[in-house]
Amino acid sequence: MENMIIAENLRKEFKKVIKEPGVKGAVKALFKPKKEIVTAVDDISFTVPKGEILGFIGPNGAGKSTVIKMLTGILMPTAGFCRINGKIPQEDRKNYVREIGVVFGQRTQLWWDLALRETYAVLKEIYQVPDEQYKKRMAFLNEVLELDSFITSPVRTLSLGQRMRADIAASLLHSPKVLFLDEPTIGLDVVVKENIRSAIKKINEEEGTTVILTTHDLADIELLCERIVMIDKGRKVFDGAISDLKHNFGDVRTLEFELVNGPDFKLLDYNRRFKLTQDDIHAERDGSMARVRFDTAKVSVENVVSYTLSTVHVKDLNIKDVEIEEIIKKLYRREVSL
Amino acid sequence: MRYIRLHKIFIAQYLKKLMEYKADFLLGAIGLLLTQVFQLAFLGIIFSQIPALIGWSFQEILFIYGFSLIAKTLDHLFTDNLWMVGYRIIRKGEFDKYLTRPINTLYHVIAENFCVDALGEMLTCILLLAYSIPSLDMPFHWYTIPLWIVVAVFATLIYTSLKIMTAAISFWTKASGHITHMLYMTNDFSKYPVSIYNKFVQTVITYVIPFAFTAYFPASYFLTGNNPWFCIGGTVIAGTVLFALALFIWHKGLSAYESAGS
Amino acid sequence: MSRIKRFFRTYKPFTRAGVQEMVAYRANFICFFIGEIMSAFIMYFVWKAVFLSSGSKTFMGFTMEDMVVYLFISFLTDYLTYSDGAFAVGEEIVEGSIAMRMIRPCSFEMSFLFQEIGNRLISAAMIFAPMVVGVEIYRYAIAGVVRFHPGYFLIYIASMLIAYMISFYFNVCYGFMAFFFKNLWGTSLIKETLVSFLSGGMIPLAFLPSGLAAVLNFLPFASLRYTPIMIYMGMYSPSEIAWRMGLQVFWLVVMFALSKLIWHSAVKHLSVQGG
Repeated sequence: MENMIIAENLRKEFKKVIKEPGVKGAVKALFKPKKEIVTAVDDISFTVPKGEILGFIGPNGAGKSTVIKMLTGILMPTAGFCRINGKIPQEDRKNYVREIGVVFGQRTQLWWDLALRETYAVLKEIYQVPDEQYKKRMAFLNEVLELDSFITSPVRTLSLGQRMRADIAASLLHSPKVLFLDEPTIGLDVVVKENIRSAIKKINEEEGTTVILTTHDLADIELLCERIVMIDKGRKVFDGAISDLKHNFGDVRTLEFELVNGPDFKLLDYNRRFKLTQDDIHAERDGSMARVRFDTAKVSVENVVSYTLSTVHVKDLNIKDVEIEEIIKKLYRREVSL
Repeated sequence: MRYIRLHKIFIAQYLKKLMEYKADFLLGAIGLLLTQVFQLAFLGIIFSQIPALIGWSFQEILFIYGFSLIAKTLDHLFTDNLWMVGYRIIRKGEFDKYLTRPINTLYHVIAENFCVDALGEMLTCILLLAYSIPSLDMPFHWYTIPLWIVVAVFATLIYTSLKIMTAAISFWTKASGHITHMLYMTNDFSKYPVSIYNKFVQTVITYVIPFAFTAYFPASYFLTGNNPWFCIGGTVIAGTVLFALALFIWHKGLSAYESAGS
Repeated sequence: MSRIKRFFRTYKPFTRAGVQEMVAYRANFICFFIGEIMSAFIMYFVWKAVFLSSGSKTFMGFTMEDMVVYLFISFLTDYLTYSDGAFAVGEEIVEGSIAMRMIRPCSFEMSFLFQEIGNRLISAAMIFAPMVVGVEIYRYAIAGVVRFHPGYFLIYIASMLIAYMISFYFNVCYGFMAFFFKNLWGTSLIKETLVSFLSGGMIPLAFLPSGLAAVLNFLPFASLRYTPIMIYMGMYSPSEIAWRMGLQVFWLVVMFALSKLIWHSAVKHLSVQGG
């Protein structure tokens, strides 16, 4: 399949002025500022095929936003290049951005003091959407994002969830081929998150829009993306299918069981039994229910089950699948390396 | 054409916003009007004691003062959002938005806001000109009115260009509102005949920060008909050169833009 | 004594924050200052032209030398007694973050006051001495004798401090008004223009028609700026100084009481509105 996004050896350096304390430092900084070069993005390459939803993840300050800003043409790469939809963003910005949509979850692009529909009227002109197409598009976006109930309200009165839906609609008004979503679910409650996810999915499926999504909510990733690129300290640390990630980074499983006699729980001491730390195996009790999370690379499912059954009376038992969140948490803590 | 259409849309949106905040705009306009009224009271008191200010009559001074408000008001009305670039837009990373839109960034920033408060100044401007012109014996030709329009455009460009340049500094330094403020304040020098200043100030406001071309020079031409090439030509040249320079700095600035946050 | 000590210990951090803020933004401050003082220089040239045109040594009782001293000392006094606590209070009220100040165990306006004092200290350190020295050198160059009068100078400082406190409470009153009308930019432009004119910032009150001048001399605005300047210039006799400063103290008390009054009704308003 053809690649919609190609990033090759992207690199971004920022100059940072080092502030020295005191008046002397301030005077010195005024005439001869001491500068330090910070590499925010260091040699990142990846491609995204047309129609894919790519999860772009990494801890805070990893350089996610910087990459997104280079891809959207906001920042100039220090080295390397990217080509999206056959165009280099920095070369012909105005033509390039006509075919992309961008949402920065932390910041709105809506006109704060105006009724929401006015924002769309202005964007229609900015992107030169023909009347006929605009009507159809608004009807479609209304259906997917349910804007009807607040489209006549001033933007400043919208709730966070409404605002985010409105922002996503704004980025889709001109039917972009690529959609960049920088933390589109930040600060939203579970129901609204669910709403937004299904809208993204629907647009991707119906229109074949390529999507790059950064998020801290790994549920977004699990529900939307087939593939993820993970970066840390400006470098790429993983690029592949989510199933590969699970396979590569050991299986974290959760064993759930119901105790016949709740207080029996204290008889169980997995850490001593298997000589493992709390990170590798961890048990907690909630009434008569108990939950043990463990890393199958360190201890087998069989051993955990047999120890449990031999120590306490169990009414019911259930083993849950790997949770990607666990793997990524470990990666962030740098317990696993590549 | 497209930009004219867009501008109409932006103005229409702005007027809707205006309706929501009627009181704010009214108060702002009253405030600006009041500032002018007190300034004029000051001039009135001075002229109650002297017949002329180094050769300029009260009417002439009022004409120059009123004339200085033409460019100031037009610039204020249409490009007020440039102040925000240096004060807030760059520092808070809000500039990202403009870069993801398929229209010229400078145009977009400017078009997004209008400052109807400037109508307070515009009212003063019109009243002063309407009051002073009939009592002045000014030369009038068929080209006088076209020249007024030319001067209004290029004088406004002088104001706007200086604001663009100083706003663009924030692409490198993150904030530059105070620099805009410092340069902008020199516009007050243009309200009076330049002959009242010493050589140094005259040179600065003629050749360095050419605010003298937004008011005194063209106004003196319209009053006397003398020095058309210097007075009108100077305004056109200063406006053109500054605008070219402003566009150049703005575009340099765009590639230096570093956004904000991670 | 220990109560006073504790009082200052409570508010010292605010002062320090004010100082640090000012140091951090001193480049902005300097640019801003240059922009502002430009207007004093424009006035200087205008007055020079006026004296030149009138052909007389005095203009309504002021010599050119008096006028220059008036312009720059007026600018300096205004700069140092300017209080923008109002804007801070107003902004916090409009944004709703005022609640954060209200839950702290210290007086609400005191925290503003001490933060601002820190701010003012730094700007005073940067501009006060240079401006006074500049004005005095000018006077010496014109008159050929030292006109600086240490006695008047010290009284001027005292009078300016009272003026600052009046300005502070006046602006707190205005800031609290933001509870009632939510506009800041327009109303403060109107307020500032009015105060500047009524306090003699644009022209000495003595230049106004005598009836108007008499009224303005009594109003609190004259206490903000005109009184300290006149003291500096040695225009007042000792008895007049006493009476003017008494008037300043009177207005300070009035403003203080008024701010308390507005504050109480504002809090009531706030609790009715639910913040």
